Amino acid sequence: MMTRTNVQRPLMYLWTILLGLLFALPFLYTLYSSIIPMRFVNTLTSPANWTLDNFKIFFTNPAYDVPRWFLNTVIMTGVVVVGNLIINPMAGFALAKLNFRGKTVIYWIVVATMMVPYHMILIPVYVNVAQLGWLNTFLGLTVPFLYQGLYIFMLRQFFISVPNEFLEAARIDGLTKMGAFWRIVYPLARSSLITMSILAFSGTWNSYLIPSTLANTPEMYVLVVGLNSVKDMFFENTPLIMAGVVLSTLPIILFFFLFQRQYIEGISSAGVKG
Amino acid sequence: MSNYSKQAGIGGNKIRQSWFRSLADHDMTLGWLFSLPFLILWAWWFLYPFIQSFVRSFQDANFAALDQAQFIGLQNYIQILQDKEFFRALLHSLQIVAISIPIQTLLGLLLAILVNQKLKGKGIFRTVFFLPYITSQIAITTVFMMLFKKGTFLTEFFGMFGFGNVTWFADTSYALLFVCILFIFQQAGFTMIVYLSGLQEIPKDLYEAGEIDGASKWNKFRYITVPYLKPITFFIVSVSTIAGFQIYDQIAAISRYGALGSPAGATSTVVTYFYQHGIRYMNIGYGSAAVVLFFIIIMLITYLQKKFLDEKE
Repeated sequence: MMTRTNVQRPLMYLWTILLGLLFALPFLYTLYSSIIPMRFVNTLTSPANWTLDNFKIFFTNPAYDVPRWFLNTVIMTGVVVVGNLIINPMAGFALAKLNFRGKTVIYWIVVATMMVPYHMILIPVYVNVAQLGWLNTFLGLTVPFLYQGLYIFMLRQFFISVPNEFLEAARIDGLTKMGAFWRIVYPLARSSLITMSILAFSGTWNSYLIPSTLANTPEMYVLVVGLNSVKDMFFENTPLIMAGVVLSTLPIILFFFLFQRQYIEGISSAGVKG
Repeated sequence: MSNYSKQAGIGGNKIRQSWFRSLADHDMTLGWLFSLPFLILWAWWFLYPFIQSFVRSFQDANFAALDQAQFIGLQNYIQILQDKEFFRALLHSLQIVAISIPIQTLLGLLLAILVNQKLKGKGIFRTVFFLPYITSQIAITTVFMMLFKKGTFLTEFFGMFGFGNVTWFADTSYALLFVCILFIFQQAGFTMIVYLSGLQEIPKDLYEAGEIDGASKWNKFRYITVPYLKPITFFIVSVSTIAGFQIYDQIAAISRYGALGSPAGATSTVVTYFYQHGIRYMNIGYGSAAVVLFFIIIMLITYLQKKFLDEKE
């Protein structure tokens, strides 16, 4: 038994390292290619030739205005996350802790909405956004996405687990049910709300299908859409494109490192519940 | 808001308290009040478009002249079902799922087992394997397009195994495989995380009992781990199948300025088919009919999966 584990251990290490290198390769390639001049693409070159020139165009050329795209992405993502932080918990709480006529219907609405892929309504949403004159506006990019059935469902599960004693204690202290929700139950849900925010944040930040459909002028590009156009435009200039990849993915990767633990817990809990 | 309601709650202002209380304390009013923001947005941005998708699918409707839309019965559906390109797209969707799902499920399981060991630096490996899942698919696809151009070290490496030294995403016989590689690379990290939480829930005494009975490592894996992970495997396969059918970003990125599904329709899927017709060609009616067919396919898969699961249980 002992000998077998001793043989297997290095083998496990070898596999892990090999697969790790395979998965890291695109990231390392991106980082390296973004700091070398065009003529050194796909070759190794000494640090003496490394340069930050590839990044410059994105801050100096108004047609590839990365700061603007960054700001657009921040606004879109920020508004969507805040909306989800208000609307989903309210509905989730109502479904979990309040008894009212129509509750069952609303519950089934949430569950059904959760199961329908967004593609199903994309064309009419596009038409409606266009008819409101909301194409290429932040209204179009945010208003339809301020709630999510899945998150209402997740939060409802959490609120059910909050003991009723909390609400009764709040009542004795003179709080209404609404007061009890905002001051006691909402703060209690902190970790669920963080999980939800992280999922909403990364989903919105990385989305391409919706922003590329609803906003297609360069001033209204979000980072992902902008990156795609940079890639198409400078297709032969690998270092320039790679600098664009670094700029557009760095924020979300930093965000991931900040919230890694909650992120991974969120994915597995959304997985198990959803 | 909070200061005010606290004062009211403590009983400072009885009159104000009474109407506020009736609003904020009765389950009936508060329940609807709290559900209302969701319900309004839902009716506006889900229910209404959802119904429209069906209604438009029976119409000859062009985006440029929507007020002149006319009902034409089943004609859009008939036309789609006579279109070879639609079945080609459907076949591609099925191929993507059939190739990617088994590989990414097994790869994800392998990754989960590896990073669940007592290895030094397993946190770093976990992060590395998970990173593609949290990065935008446009970015990943962009990087892979640079890596899989003709003449790079990667295409030359694959060339040694009998693959052509070609630009993968621009070659009609490799482009779909390229999409599968992207999808596997993205999903494996997700699968790993879900399997990892499953592995950590397996009671340790099961393995100890197995050891006492003299079970080999393989047998412990075969008779303890695998059965325990069965529901999770089912979950992963269902979720990834649906995700596979919904792939869009990767294909949009490799199509560049061409029609979606480039080169020459080699990567078209049901999603790019409806997007191309409904949004790019602005043929709202025809595109909606394609969307409804897409929806029926997804529902059918969900139903079959559920049925399969119920029989197993």
